[in-house]
Amino acid sequence: MRVSAITMAGLRLNDLDYYRSDLAALIKSSGASLLVLPAYSALMLGLEVGALVPAHDFGSSLQQYIKNHSSWNNRFMDLHSTLAHDLNIHLVAGTLVEIESGRHYHSAYCFNPAGEICCSQRQTHLTRSERESGFSRGEGLNIFTLNGLKTGLVIGNDARHPEVGRIFALRGAGLILYSGASEAGFNCWPQAAGMWAQVQQNQFWSVEAQLSGAISGKFFGAPSAVLGPCEITPGKSGYLKRGYPQSAIVTAELDEKSRLKIKENYPLLKLLNPEAYSGINEGPVL
Amino acid sequence: MALDGWKEKLYQRYLSWICRPSRIERHLRAALPAPAQPALEVKQGLVRAAALQVELKLSKSPLYYADEMHRRVKEAVKEGVQLVVFPEYNNLPLLGLLPGFEKMEEAYRKKVKQSGVKDDNQKEEEISLAEVFRYMSPAVQPLVHTVFSCLSAVYGLHIMAGSYTLADNGNVINRSFLYGPTGLRIGSQDKVHLLPVETEWNIKRGRSFSVYDTPLGSLALPVCMDATYFETFRILEQKGADIVLLPIANLEEYNYWLALRGIWPRVQESQLYGIKSALVGTIAGLKFTGRAGIFAPLEITPNRDGILAEVEPYDREAIAIADLDLEALHKLRSAHPWRDSNPVLYRRYFPELYS
Repeated sequence: MRVSAITMAGLRLNDLDYYRSDLAALIKSSGASLLVLPAYSALMLGLEVGALVPAHDFGSSLQQYIKNHSSWNNRFMDLHSTLAHDLNIHLVAGTLVEIESGRHYHSAYCFNPAGEICCSQRQTHLTRSERESGFSRGEGLNIFTLNGLKTGLVIGNDARHPEVGRIFALRGAGLILYSGASEAGFNCWPQAAGMWAQVQQNQFWSVEAQLSGAISGKFFGAPSAVLGPCEITPGKSGYLKRGYPQSAIVTAELDEKSRLKIKENYPLLKLLNPEAYSGINEGPVL
Repeated sequence: MALDGWKEKLYQRYLSWICRPSRIERHLRAALPAPAQPALEVKQGLVRAAALQVELKLSKSPLYYADEMHRRVKEAVKEGVQLVVFPEYNNLPLLGLLPGFEKMEEAYRKKVKQSGVKDDNQKEEEISLAEVFRYMSPAVQPLVHTVFSCLSAVYGLHIMAGSYTLADNGNVINRSFLYGPTGLRIGSQDKVHLLPVETEWNIKRGRSFSVYDTPLGSLALPVCMDATYFETFRILEQKGADIVLLPIANLEEYNYWLALRGIWPRVQESQLYGIKSALVGTIAGLKFTGRAGIFAPLEITPNRDGILAEVEPYDREAIAIADLDLEALHKLRSAHPWRDSNPVLYRRYFPELYS
């Protein structure tokens, strides 16, 4: 399976038609059948096309979006449903903020080539600032099947919480699609402590899409990547392909047979020792 | 093939005799400073620690082994440390006490090099490593205790003596030991996650994790492969661990990324200090590599890379020294920017997934 991660860099975001055609051109040139967009894609695009009202800083723009999310979210979802259908791909549309029963969640949706929603996911672990902004945690992890591979979506801060990857892996997930947004700067080590570490301890694939660009004065930029178990990647690095923060797209081919072989030769999950895990349900100490 | 013939029993008694505590202690005392040095106080929450990288050299005599351990401790003491950490399988040098082991080792090394394929007759003749460890255990256990008890008491140090494969109630376990500055053994930890090869050797896995409160903070001592699993460090974090002492003996060619998969991400996930000591070198065709180091959450390391100190070579003796700031660790944990917990999620899935 050929997969791509998009950073939003280089896309013309100020016009939805341009956005659509730029994205279509990238997909066609990559030959991928799966595309993952980064976190805060709805907020960035909504501000750029003028569907959302910008504020003086990121947090305030996010609050404005939360207040006026409804009509833009519908347009955003329709746009990506159509894109998935027209391009005949699976498409993770990045993330949006949705509200249910007065609570707001940071969520991702995946569309199948028919343009239907095949999976949705709410972020389950929040940063301190997300908690202070009033976000709620998702309480479930959803799995769907993509080209025969059990697949899950991971959002933002969930990459730094290994419980998420472990739950997916023990439920049989072989592919994790990650929408992230890391502040620009020296961030290779936080990234390695995130999805790279989850991939290595669970032996699944991951397509990591990181946002590149600015939202209300806050700059995002980290390399997007396609990751796999070290043993089956060049230089045993754990990266099948890794871009630069400004790379528009990162594409790689997943060789599922090689992943299954490494799982057989080095069966990490079979060597778990749950007898010693009393208390694990309580999670990190806050 | 069992090691229970009369010749083997006789040699086992001889081993216990040459490793007897009074002999080892007398030998060490002659070389150790007197009187004993008082334990260094922990000032302003700073703990100075040493992660040792130990090169595998066969010890033909228990006195040589004691001298080697002493030499490494002295090297750390010169740096003003309060805590010294030795590697996994710190008993392997003691295989040199077995008569003819060097020749056996050479033959085995050639065999591994040539093919690695064994016929059925060979397999029947072979003695498993677990049997060898069990056989040597009555001599090794008191030897190790005497060496590290003496060294920690005389230098006023906390010493994690590394891990040892030993007999325990009919089983063989891979157990790490912690000694305090009075020479008392403070605690131990059986390896909970075993490599497939250790399961083949019939080593029994541990069933729980322990944390020990000391003047240097709360210390835990899981073993090598235990750091492959986030569960280990999460549970130790829940039990209050500040510093995780991890002895390793990695049986693989060195690769930066493969080596990164153990303690480094675990320290980031659970926000602890981690000290990795490594056994390196070759024995019986088995090659161990590693880089000893001292790790911390990214936010409290000078280069924001999670590394306080790391040795350069991956195949030679070395030492990594760093100061661990417990106050900074506690402060970071109390107001961390990204740490969160979702027990509703964990309770929904883990009971079934771990059953």
